[in-house]
Amino acid sequence: MGQIILGVGDYGASNLPGEDVKTFALGSCVSVVFLDPKTRTIGMVHVALPESSINKAKSVEKPGYFADTGIPALFAEMAKFGCNPKGKGMVVKLCGGANVMDTNDTFQIGKRNALSIKKILWKYGMGAVAEDLGGNFSRTVSVSVDTGEITLSSPGRPNWKL
Amino acid sequence: MTEKISPEEIQKVISSVPLLSASANQLLQTTTDPDHDLMQIVNVVKTDATLTARVLKVVNSAAFGLINEITSLDRAISYLGERLVVGIAIGDCAAQLFDKELKGYEGEHGALWRHDLRTAIASREVVTQSNSTINPDLAFTAGLLHDIGKALISDYLQGTAKDVLQKIENDEFSDYLSAEEELIGFDHPRAGYELALVWKLPEPIANAIRFHHTPAEASEEFRELVYAVHLGDNIAMMGGCGTGADSMQYKLDTDYTQYIDLHPNALANVMLVVNEDFEKLERSFSEAGE
Repeated sequence: MGQIILGVGDYGASNLPGEDVKTFALGSCVSVVFLDPKTRTIGMVHVALPESSINKAKSVEKPGYFADTGIPALFAEMAKFGCNPKGKGMVVKLCGGANVMDTNDTFQIGKRNALSIKKILWKYGMGAVAEDLGGNFSRTVSVSVDTGEITLSSPGRPNWKL
Repeated sequence: MTEKISPEEIQKVISSVPLLSASANQLLQTTTDPDHDLMQIVNVVKTDATLTARVLKVVNSAAFGLINEITSLDRAISYLGERLVVGIAIGDCAAQLFDKELKGYEGEHGALWRHDLRTAIASREVVTQSNSTINPDLAFTAGLLHDIGKALISDYLQGTAKDVLQKIENDEFSDYLSAEEELIGFDHPRAGYELALVWKLPEPIANAIRFHHTPAEASEEFRELVYAVHLGDNIAMMGGCGTGADSMQYKLDTDYTQYIDLHPNALANVMLVVNEDFEKLERSFSEAGE
């Protein structure tokens, strides 16, 4: 079975039966997963920061890094698989966005990532059907092209599904 | 059931760990002195043939992408900067500790080294981007060594991770640090500090090891550095790079604002640089290690 592994700021899509799209150890990062029932395509972007305005050059080089540039980049990628370029008809799931314990506003990057992503999705008329966000633990996320099911894992915890 | 570690027991564990090499020790002493210069570093490295070879191998690794090979030690050290040279020296002598699989934390093989390297870069960037007066090289080295105590106590914590996480969730433990103390009578900063004493590490670094989760308890003289490492550690964990089940299970001391002026945008920039630098450094270390 094939696997597409995404690093921080990477995005990718697949419609190959048997394949998984996976990203390791999301801390405050958020993984946005799109499932397109029509073309049976799965897409994922590993978002690290909420806004690209802090580093425009980086957002050109690696749009997946930021919520506001990562989501359009993933749409464009999925359009290559015949999906609607504005996400119409797609289902969204969100994972990650953890925070450290007793955090302050500055360090709530996980929360800000999730909020920023939801705001952008809202602009496209989309909302998440399922989410596993927040808490204070890291998550490894794997999505199966066959079932659209997400498997999450974290050291010291039994795996769970979304 | 876990057993408490007695002070004698921790000394026994420490005595089984190799000592730092004379050159690594001298590099740490030299770089902690604010008045040192690069030539002093070159002179220390020169006395150690293995370290010289490693420094040249790292600088010429593909990750740095140099067109012309660097063959002179002076040029290699000025290109890499002293923090990397110290990092290479420590990484080599303490490889047995850094490479240890942290079974007690259910950490993957290599997780400690990756977390420490990431914390080193993050601590340096916190210092740089907050315009602190702390020497960034010192922050890097302190970050690299901050969690060394985990390698000493991990075996004693085997099989406890699941239960600890549950108890933290139920507020039976306030965080992973208190769980370590409660279960085995020793937390990882204290174990690391015992090693720092045996290794005769410079005082600022020993303080960073001892108080990186409780920076307010560090002596005033070193507190700014210790807060920088505290933040660096948290930033590394937020980047998904912890040492296992304990990742993000420690408290942030938000009083850092009294010592370190880090705005949200500066923090975002720190995280960006950390990601980029980490990938490059990890590659150069592993290429040179082959």
